Amino acid sequence: MELNAGAAGTGPHKTASERDEVAALESLQFTDEIRRLMSAPATDNASSFTALLELPAPQAVQLIHSPDSAKLTAAPAPAPNVDDFKGSFHYPFNSGLIERAARFSVFTGDGNINEDNKSNSPEPTSYNSSASLQKPVKSEPAETESSQPLVSDPTVENRRNKRKDREKVKGSTKKSKTAAKESSDDAEKLPYVHVRARRGQATDSHSLAERARREKINARMKLLQELVPGCGKISGMALVLDEIINHVQSLQRQVEFLSMRLAAVNPGIDFNLDSVFTAENGSLMDSNFPGMVMPMMWPEVQLNGNRQQYPPQLHFNALQQSVWGKEEVCNNYITPENSLLSYDSSGNSAPLHSNRLKMEL
Amino acid sequence: MPLSSLKPKMRPHSSLKQEFLKKWIMGLQRCSFSKKNMSILERKKAIKFSADIAMASARNGTTCWSRSLISNASKEGSDIHVVEQILGSESDRPAVENKVPTRRASVCKKIVKRSCRIRRRRRRRKCVASAPSSIAKHLVRKRREVLKSLIPGGEFMNEICLIEETLDYITSLRVQVDVMRSLASASVRASE
Repeated sequence: MELNAGAAGTGPHKTASERDEVAALESLQFTDEIRRLMSAPATDNASSFTALLELPAPQAVQLIHSPDSAKLTAAPAPAPNVDDFKGSFHYPFNSGLIERAARFSVFTGDGNINEDNKSNSPEPTSYNSSASLQKPVKSEPAETESSQPLVSDPTVENRRNKRKDREKVKGSTKKSKTAAKESSDDAEKLPYVHVRARRGQATDSHSLAERARREKINARMKLLQELVPGCGKISGMALVLDEIINHVQSLQRQVEFLSMRLAAVNPGIDFNLDSVFTAENGSLMDSNFPGMVMPMMWPEVQLNGNRQQYPPQLHFNALQQSVWGKEEVCNNYITPENSLLSYDSSGNSAPLHSNRLKMEL
Repeated sequence: MPLSSLKPKMRPHSSLKQEFLKKWIMGLQRCSFSKKNMSILERKKAIKFSADIAMASARNGTTCWSRSLISNASKEGSDIHVVEQILGSESDRPAVENKVPTRRASVCKKIVKRSCRIRRRRRRRKCVASAPSSIAKHLVRKRREVLKSLIPGGEFMNEICLIEETLDYITSLRVQVDVMRSLASASVRASE
């Protein structure tokens, strides 16, 4: 499970994580959408963070920032101390979350705060020692883990000896305290999510909001990078945007070209796909969708008239579907010109059958 | 946003393709019913138009680009019946309602752009940005503008919205291209 998630991680995730080496606490205000996300099945594919702790930093970060879950957790900047969060953490490695990730305004993986509260409350003493010993620069693996039990952090921070942390926390303690109460009461419906500011960065509300906005944008850009082929390896916003623009333009041009081709093929723009919607063909709807498409070249205006007249259509369909299904698989990224050639050269038997059937009808 | 079709391997769900196909065929039939003996260019336009509207309506008004696409299409008097056919009488109303705010928004946007242009001219005379970060920002800004021009209704979106809309738009375009390509190839085979 984790390995699978890790394998799916991409390069750009690393740079984001490297930036997120940590200092103080912040709190952010979240919308209703994030509450829904919180109440979503967060423990479907839960995996323990203790296992992550043992991994080397970049690998763990990759796992954390894997496409399935990282969209949700990349936004809140991670906290410094590893040992603060010993205990079992449950992480929503839910593949369905990638859908919600793009829907919601802010990403967070804090649906686990409830569990983490319980796990962290019996470990107050460990914070002190760990806080004094550990530097925030370390412990990349624990970066995003620490975003989970942030409720207990306000209490923890008071005990910390780090002056910098104290100074930074002061400004945000007001927010965090009020937030902590609410979040401890109802951790799943979180109005605030605590985000750690980077070391040496201001904690005033403007920069916080800006940082949250930037995190949102970066998370969505990662989604886009995965969607557009060949974008995953590119680092740099401008180049990625270039690729996206090229992709969109090429898709639009393809639509134009295909519509012209369709117009050229048909004398009229009627496609009799009546058979497509019959019950039998419904079972064949799969990723090889093109196998379903059966245009008939009769100049029929009304859809219903054909059903009664040409029952052998169904037999005709079944014959051709297998051929078209095979062909379309290899033609996914071939330009229309090439596909025309490939269709002409292969599968000569099917058109003959179709012609014969047409003659019979 | 309905990115339920978006999976890690980015394969559009077949239900979306089915829905798009149905609406597209409906629109095409409506087109052919009204006009007969169209030239090739007219046909191409009709095909593309119906395809775009069908794709947009498949989103059921959940995305900004689909709404703006439909509202733009509703402006033309001649093709509005095609739009109505595809959308159905109920869902057409919200699309029409969006027309008015977009017009006002476009006017406001123009005023804002003019004022920004004036400011930019003044700034440009003063300093040529030599810092790498500002150059990078400039590049990114230019590309963002290009992207805005590509996505229908993109001028009215902020950055976050733009990226989300792009995501959705790309998936819908892919579905559209897949379906059209399969239909074209199938019709070529059938005509042989």
